[in-house]
Amino acid sequence: MGRQVAIASAGFCEHAVRRSDVSMPEMVKEAIDDCLSKVPSVGIEDIDMFVNGNMPAFEGASIPELWMTDWMGARNKPLMRVTTGGTTGGTVAIAGYYSVAAGLPGVDTVLAVAFEQQSQGDTSVGLSSVALGELTAIQSIGMPLQKMKRLVSAGAAIGIAAYQATNYMRKSKITEEDLARVVVQNRRNAAKNWYTHLKMPNVTIEEVLDTPYISYPLRFGMVCPASDGCCAMLFTTEEKAKDMADIPVYVNGVASVANETGIMGYNAGGGGQLDPSEQLGAQRSAELAFDQAGISFPGKEIDYAEVYAPFPNQELMWVEKLGLFETNTAPEMYANGTTAANGEFPINTSGGVNSTNAIGASAMERPAEAALQIMGKAGNQVPKTVHTSLGHGWGGIINLITMMVMADEPKRKFK
Amino acid sequence: MDKVGIVGYYYMKMSPDLIYGRYNLIFETVRGALDSVNLKKKDITTVISATNDYYDGRTISNAYCVEPAGAYLADESKAEMDGAFAAQYGLMRILSGNHKLAVVWGGSTPSCYPYDSAQLYQTDPTFERPIALVNNITAGGFQMRAYMEKYGVSAEDIAKVAVKNRKNAAKNPLANPEAQNANITVDDVLKSDILSDPVTELMYAAPCDGLAAILLAPEKQALKITDEPVWIKGVGSNQDPYYLGDRDLSECKSMEMAAKMAFDGAGITAKDVDFAEIFEQYAHEELILAEAIGLAEKGKANELNSEINGDIPINPSGGAIAGHAPFATGLMRIIEAVKQLQGKADGYQVKDPKVAIATGQIGFCAQNNILYVLEKGGN
Amino acid sequence: MSKKMEYDRKEYDVTRTMPGNWYLSSYKFRYSLDHLQPWFKKLKEKKLVGTQCRSCNTVFFPPRLVCGYCLVKPDLWVDVRETAQVATFNITYEKNPQTGEVVEKPVVCVRHDGTDTAFLAQLSPEINFRETYVGMPLKVKWRDEPEGNIGDLEYYEPLEDEAKDLRKEE
Repeated sequence: MGRQVAIASAGFCEHAVRRSDVSMPEMVKEAIDDCLSKVPSVGIEDIDMFVNGNMPAFEGASIPELWMTDWMGARNKPLMRVTTGGTTGGTVAIAGYYSVAAGLPGVDTVLAVAFEQQSQGDTSVGLSSVALGELTAIQSIGMPLQKMKRLVSAGAAIGIAAYQATNYMRKSKITEEDLARVVVQNRRNAAKNWYTHLKMPNVTIEEVLDTPYISYPLRFGMVCPASDGCCAMLFTTEEKAKDMADIPVYVNGVASVANETGIMGYNAGGGGQLDPSEQLGAQRSAELAFDQAGISFPGKEIDYAEVYAPFPNQELMWVEKLGLFETNTAPEMYANGTTAANGEFPINTSGGVNSTNAIGASAMERPAEAALQIMGKAGNQVPKTVHTSLGHGWGGIINLITMMVMADEPKRKFK
Repeated sequence: MDKVGIVGYYYMKMSPDLIYGRYNLIFETVRGALDSVNLKKKDITTVISATNDYYDGRTISNAYCVEPAGAYLADESKAEMDGAFAAQYGLMRILSGNHKLAVVWGGSTPSCYPYDSAQLYQTDPTFERPIALVNNITAGGFQMRAYMEKYGVSAEDIAKVAVKNRKNAAKNPLANPEAQNANITVDDVLKSDILSDPVTELMYAAPCDGLAAILLAPEKQALKITDEPVWIKGVGSNQDPYYLGDRDLSECKSMEMAAKMAFDGAGITAKDVDFAEIFEQYAHEELILAEAIGLAEKGKANELNSEINGDIPINPSGGAIAGHAPFATGLMRIIEAVKQLQGKADGYQVKDPKVAIATGQIGFCAQNNILYVLEKGGN
Repeated sequence: MSKKMEYDRKEYDVTRTMPGNWYLSSYKFRYSLDHLQPWFKKLKEKKLVGTQCRSCNTVFFPPRLVCGYCLVKPDLWVDVRETAQVATFNITYEKNPQTGEVVEKPVVCVRHDGTDTAFLAQLSPEINFRETYVGMPLKVKWRDEPEGNIGDLEYYEPLEDEAKDLRKEE
């Protein structure tokens, strides 16, 4: 049951705070063109199925695939839309994987597209709507308005990240300087990558620490931007990928695991999450994906990782929780250059979500970048040869983790 | 394609207003599906939901549903399309060999949101939305007019479909009470309020509250879970261009291609089908889709005997007209087909069916269609 | 005062814009609060109760509709103590729109002793919030006349932390 899936190509469009020169479908077309330009033998007519997604409320269009059909070349082809908030890109990539892996008759080559044009919509309305219903319910049970207002500001992504940061900082005893160092590495890497948003070739730790707090312990300079952008990935079967690409990348493990919905949880319920930096979902999805890929020692076997970290404390947290580094050693690895582009274990050399965040697309840019590093076609290519890489995504209201583990050879068959 | 079984299902009685909170409904639906075959939370390996942010009035509408839907620490995802497409994603996940039990749930509660204005967000924001002349209802009017003009079908013929579905709905205990009417006549349908000429109110599948869930499992596990699984033999989906002017509204090319893909995969033809559960937004869509599937020749679907005991029963449950719970309707079509195949459709049972089809759709004038070929399993 | 960080920026032409809006006010959000009613009743008597899942023994405070681990409704009522701990916190920066003054406010999540879940709460206004830390012991300060809603837990007062000095030595 199931079959080996390969990535033949991946492409991006230019990301910026305001891509006012193109409409959403036109922006999607740019990324599809970039993706297909890397595989000259493939045309849009060779694609059997389309998978895509974005965060609809951020752009004011419900199910935008319906009207962008012709821009994507999806006329009279099967199309599936998946979306899960911040991890939309990751879930779209995973849906692309499953569309090929399932082996449905007539479906071999699948184009997965994730996009976001935040400048088109009212992101604040989109964000406030996330919890609007929950907050009305909480107000109806007697929460004073003054307190509610504070909950709103603490409940958005930054508030959640701040909760994670306080717990993580307590456990691993890091300073704000450690956080700023991560930001500096990301922004400097971004300057070498053609499509990224915040290109800061000369940024320093002092500059980052000089900006005001947004939510303690996160400062303005540490927070991801809001970008417009799109990412496309081409999934196909093992046999076809060998014809399409010089170095096909094989997808060996995927997972998307959700845990606790919200700290508040007055209505929905949950398992009870006390420590937001514990990340059961990340641990579980890492376990699932590595198990599928036959990886027993992620720290040794993986050569390159792209983790979804809008905030620097998350980058430190993820690399530990995903099993890449020993617990509480990540800050040290950033300080001694292990994670730099020319280091032993490069992380986020694309600049990461910290430099470019087109919400719906970001989680797909992680596996896309990780795949391009194996192919040797990445914007900021690492000097060492990458055999196995990892693309990770984070989103949902608190926790939905997507994982995609890739390698330059098909999965070892144990069974 | 390997065999995948539909092993369990649940959908609650539809109603114009279900009163309960959203999470209670989700919990009850998913729990109901698990209880139908005595499974536990820890048996679930993947959960696919079908909801829409604009229908639920919140961004990331699946996020708060993690716990009530049993997705805690399970592989979770959301297909923002009709439930039938979510079922396709669930099917893919099972077929990949990574998962052993998939829960697919979908649905929404139109009593809590403005259904028609939420539909407007589906339109092209540059050209069509500012004018608001093209919406889900006028699109239905265009489609019906195009069909009537091209094949000379009369409004009475189309009203007959609505009458048949509403009479069938009266026999379906889970149908929306507002749609159930055992004594309806063609005249009642034609004389009801005009929504968008020539579409009248009783030809339209009015939205109501409802949720549905199904369980999917691979062959080996399915046989252990239940004695009477229903196998998914084939599935096909396809999408038409968006602009109504780009397609011939009197037919449905995407359904033709989806049906071809599904029938080829299953190795059967439309002639082998014993009955059909079709998701029709309007009465005339049932005819257009039946023709596209190949159950009848173009323009001749109104001549079919599609009653419950007819030659080829269509929508014995009453179809979407019996209750259109947005994003659950496609799942409900699958569930109704499964019930018939298992012989559990009390009061509206088709005689001894072996092979059924169920369809789902999304978009104006059935822009994106999906078709399942289902086969009776077990004894 | 806010120092901007410079980056290599590229400007794009503006081609067209279309006005639009999402009328969230026309949505009705509906919640069933049945599972909270016994909790409110006890709050009015200045008593704290939570629900326990019969399957996995997790104690939920405030009571929740569903136990995520087991997909069942927790329906066993148990006593919950008035003492609690800070589970996590952050500090928000509220800008007063009239004066432009930025006010720092802590938002804390507390876990009551004897429960397994955390929830958002307010600290006593007398605490210097810079002294907040994870694990800080707290006690409920009740509203003088409870009304049977969540506002009855007015705020949390700090208790003396007898292990604080030991923790620093670590």
